[in-house]
Amino acid sequence: MRAVQILVDGFAISSLYGLAAVGFTLIFGVSGVLNLAHGGIMVVAALVGWAAAAEFGFGTYAGTGLGILAGLATAYATYLIVVRPIQRSRAIRPEETEIFVLTGTLLWGIMIQVGMAYLFSDNPVTIRPLVAGVVNILGVRTPANEILIAVIAWSLIGLLWLLVNRTRTGKALLGASMNPRGVTLLGYELTRIYFVAWTIYGLLAGIAGVLLASFLGVSTANTGQLTASAFSIVVLGGLGSVSGSLIAAYVVGYLETMTAYLVAPTLRPIPSLILLVLVIYVRPQGLLGRR
Amino acid sequence: MAILRSRVLWIGAAVVVIAALLPFWLSAYLLGVLTAAYYFGVFAMAWDLLFGFAGEVNFGPTFLIGLGAYTAAILNSEFGLPIPVCVVAGAIAAVLGGILLAVPALRLRGPYFGLVTLVAVLLLQNFIVIFAGVTGGEIGMTVPDVLSIDEKVNYWYALVFLTICAVLLYGLSRSTVGLILQASGQDAVEASALGFNVTKHKIAAFCISALFSGTAGAMLIFYMGTASINTVIDLAIAVQIIIAAVLGGRRTILGAALGAVFLIVANEFLRPLGQLNTFVVSAVALAVILFFPEGLLGYALHRGERE
Amino acid sequence: MTGAARLQVSGLHKRFGGVIAVKNMSFDLRAGEIVGLIGPNGSGKSTVMSLIMGIQRANAGTITLDGIDIAGWPAHRIARAGISIVFQHSRPLQRQTVLENIKLALLPDSLLRLATKTSVTERARAIAERVGLGGVLHRHPWTLPFADLRRMEVAKAVARDPKVVLIDEPFAGLTAAEIKIFSDLIRSLRDDGRAVLLVDHSVKSVAALADRVIAMYLGEPIAEGSADEVMQNETVRRVYLGGAIEAVERNDSRTDAATLLDVDCVDVFYGKAQALEHVDLRVRQDEFVSIVGLNGAGKTTLFNAISGLVPYRGSIRFAGAELRRRTAAAIARGGVVHCPETRELFGYMSVRENLDLGGGHLSAGERQRQLAWVFELFPILEQRQAQAARTLSGGEQQMLTLGRALMMQPKLLILDEPTLGLAPVILGQISKAIERLRKERSLTLLLAEQNVTFALPHSDRVYLLDHGRIAWQGDPQRFAAEMHAGYL
Repeated sequence: MRAVQILVDGFAISSLYGLAAVGFTLIFGVSGVLNLAHGGIMVVAALVGWAAAAEFGFGTYAGTGLGILAGLATAYATYLIVVRPIQRSRAIRPEETEIFVLTGTLLWGIMIQVGMAYLFSDNPVTIRPLVAGVVNILGVRTPANEILIAVIAWSLIGLLWLLVNRTRTGKALLGASMNPRGVTLLGYELTRIYFVAWTIYGLLAGIAGVLLASFLGVSTANTGQLTASAFSIVVLGGLGSVSGSLIAAYVVGYLETMTAYLVAPTLRPIPSLILLVLVIYVRPQGLLGRR
Repeated sequence: MAILRSRVLWIGAAVVVIAALLPFWLSAYLLGVLTAAYYFGVFAMAWDLLFGFAGEVNFGPTFLIGLGAYTAAILNSEFGLPIPVCVVAGAIAAVLGGILLAVPALRLRGPYFGLVTLVAVLLLQNFIVIFAGVTGGEIGMTVPDVLSIDEKVNYWYALVFLTICAVLLYGLSRSTVGLILQASGQDAVEASALGFNVTKHKIAAFCISALFSGTAGAMLIFYMGTASINTVIDLAIAVQIIIAAVLGGRRTILGAALGAVFLIVANEFLRPLGQLNTFVVSAVALAVILFFPEGLLGYALHRGERE
Repeated sequence: MTGAARLQVSGLHKRFGGVIAVKNMSFDLRAGEIVGLIGPNGSGKSTVMSLIMGIQRANAGTITLDGIDIAGWPAHRIARAGISIVFQHSRPLQRQTVLENIKLALLPDSLLRLATKTSVTERARAIAERVGLGGVLHRHPWTLPFADLRRMEVAKAVARDPKVVLIDEPFAGLTAAEIKIFSDLIRSLRDDGRAVLLVDHSVKSVAALADRVIAMYLGEPIAEGSADEVMQNETVRRVYLGGAIEAVERNDSRTDAATLLDVDCVDVFYGKAQALEHVDLRVRQDEFVSIVGLNGAGKTTLFNAISGLVPYRGSIRFAGAELRRRTAAAIARGGVVHCPETRELFGYMSVRENLDLGGGHLSAGERQRQLAWVFELFPILEQRQAQAARTLSGGEQQMLTLGRALMMQPKLLILDEPTLGLAPVILGQISKAIERLRKERSLTLLLAEQNVTFALPHSDRVYLLDHGRIAWQGDPQRFAAEMHAGYL
């Protein structure tokens, strides 16, 4: 019984982690940015979604939609206000750009967290599940919402796969992650490609944020932890590898769920941290990374 | 002697003298703020040494600080050892931690090393929570001994400590060893080709940074009388240290101390804004990164020098 | 004159993954002599230097200094044993003065030293005077002209009185006058009794300076002797020039065609070094223009300027429109397609995917037709279309690069050193493909090549680029007659 519960809960949380991590890794692969404001984007989506649905009475569906759009807007802001100006700044030496972008996104993430806490307080909020009801899986009563989350997450991942492998824009995106100069020489504007990448990222992170709110609840206090998990997953799976991130998401998701159920809920993040340290020492490029 | 003609020396001495006289007309509350700021200044200077001179970005300086702080706190509260012994033990613990961080640093580049430092902080944090019996967990612990109960005396302790650390760290940065460290951090291949064992020097830079961080962390504990995650380990503190160093100007050492004091004082003045003070400080720091990446001191020093 | 063998390299072997950079390299370096290492791009010259200096570890072979085997030692230990290196790119500490930079080179490797002795400062001053930096001791590197930065690198290298000095590309970026002064400086090092090993692309400058010359090709030594002997060696000439030049009769002169590409007085600077100086070049519609010149002459820089990848001064016009205002991608879409020397393929994508990306701006039908044409030109690409690009051989990768460029329906095709590192058989195939290209489609070509034999038969006109300047222009027959002898 316990085992099935772990299996089911773990699957749902891993799917959500996977969704967020895929976006994170996409941005790293294409734009070269490790976005430490990642948690902030998810939190904005969750809080705005909740506010629109509950406080302003737009209802669950419209609220969720608005939340996702808010997440997208935050992603754009991150790119246009923080990342791009630093990348283009001539006052910063090229070797130091990465560090400045990291620090800049970290600061931006803090600004988002504090700003959101000011507007919404740091109490956890939940969005009403998109589907109500309970389903019986092998004797375990599971909220239908959890199943929906897993379905949505995998549909999106599937859509992304289709985009990257079957459309011209997607292939240009993939090309840019391998060789930016190559795509320029083939006549594709890098600025447009980056715009597409951040759009996809913003949507993925936004959706992950509202879904998380409907599943476990989200508060501004989670901001750091959300970024940290995405970061860990992506490094475990290999920076820049989407399939690696997915596999790692399930490894981390299940490790956390098992720890929470079998050991103690407070020790949830520890096994993945230890795993992360081991991976960094033994195989720094992660499971499937190429860099 | 060239050193007596140095502008830095005279300005620095003047600043210290003025600072030493402040307790005679500032309130106890403000003195307390400045005392904490001075310890923070040592944190920032130690960070700047590692960054500016070994070229390593440490996203978790609080790992080293926390090691020093908690070691000292536990030794004092569990075993009743006197303060100087605890501080020294804290420093040693931090140096050991520094060596632990140095090992992956030598093999990993860029974002991976930064990640290790972040993970180190998170692990230490969780470690402390698990062993809450000894460490007080998330609530923190108190230590029986403190440096002093008089806020003036505490202030002077902190000022003297900051001054000594500043002199040592700044002197180091301008010394021959500092030159070699800078070369190792800027261009490891060139430094090797000139005959310097870069590995040895980077480990040394970590140990020095750890020594100062750990000692300052331990001293801070005996000033405040308490040790907790929020004051010495939390990532928020780590970020503030980095902001302080970047605000003040990387690789200037003294700029980091100035940045730290500025930051803590600014935080206090913005306190009426409630939570938003962090927002404002982060926004200012972000603006500095975007428009003055050299930092305020760095910008002031280099204005006119650069094309 | 020359003393005992100071440095002995034997059977040196180095591979990077699948690429063999150095193969069975053996030579001696004696005290009081200058040995020049020459060879086309990719021949392994710089790798040999990194191996001697300990920056890379050799896979096999021995390197002995005065009888002691130093292969496998870390770089700092080799430096302390008496070998110094002047790197190709200057590496000063920007925050320190010239004097402090040189002092650094004199310091012992100690953690405990807080102050330097005055004798060290005096010695640093003396070394600075010797290389001609006496007047700029207290300036910072970013205020110095390029040549002075190079001088500082030499100063650092000789500071500790090394037995062996390795110099990588001493003349790159220097004017003719500066080259002469530098050559004198290097000669004075030899006269001190040191053993000097030089690597440079300018064969003439090396020949003027070196006592002995060793030529390398694809990682192996192919000739050794005095400068004249090596220059006249058959194998060496073939490797640089590609064999005997046949003057090909060109029937249609095309001088009446419109100008498609107009490069007007273009300068390019990389920091302080001038890579291109007042370059004027014209390509007419349907013409095949070749730019020949040794490595480092500036051919790639010129192409990067045309493609909008590097900033430049001057004017570049395509079909009458100024290219400066467009982004690099827009220039490519406009019909100026650049196949760079580095190929820039998408390694993890399949051949087919690479080609499809090239044809991304066409409609589906057009893309199919274009793809069919490319497969006809290069049948091997059709065979390997599902393979990942990085698993292809060098020749196949070059064909893919060409094919991908052709998918863009270029009006002007720019090829940068397409024959680099390829076997003669592949060269033949590519050569035939280019012939077909010109016959079947209206295509204007601009080619940069070190390999003159490959370039001349197809060309309508030839430009010779030397040290960033156009040194000669004319038609291929005249080139064969006038320049061949003096090319090397």
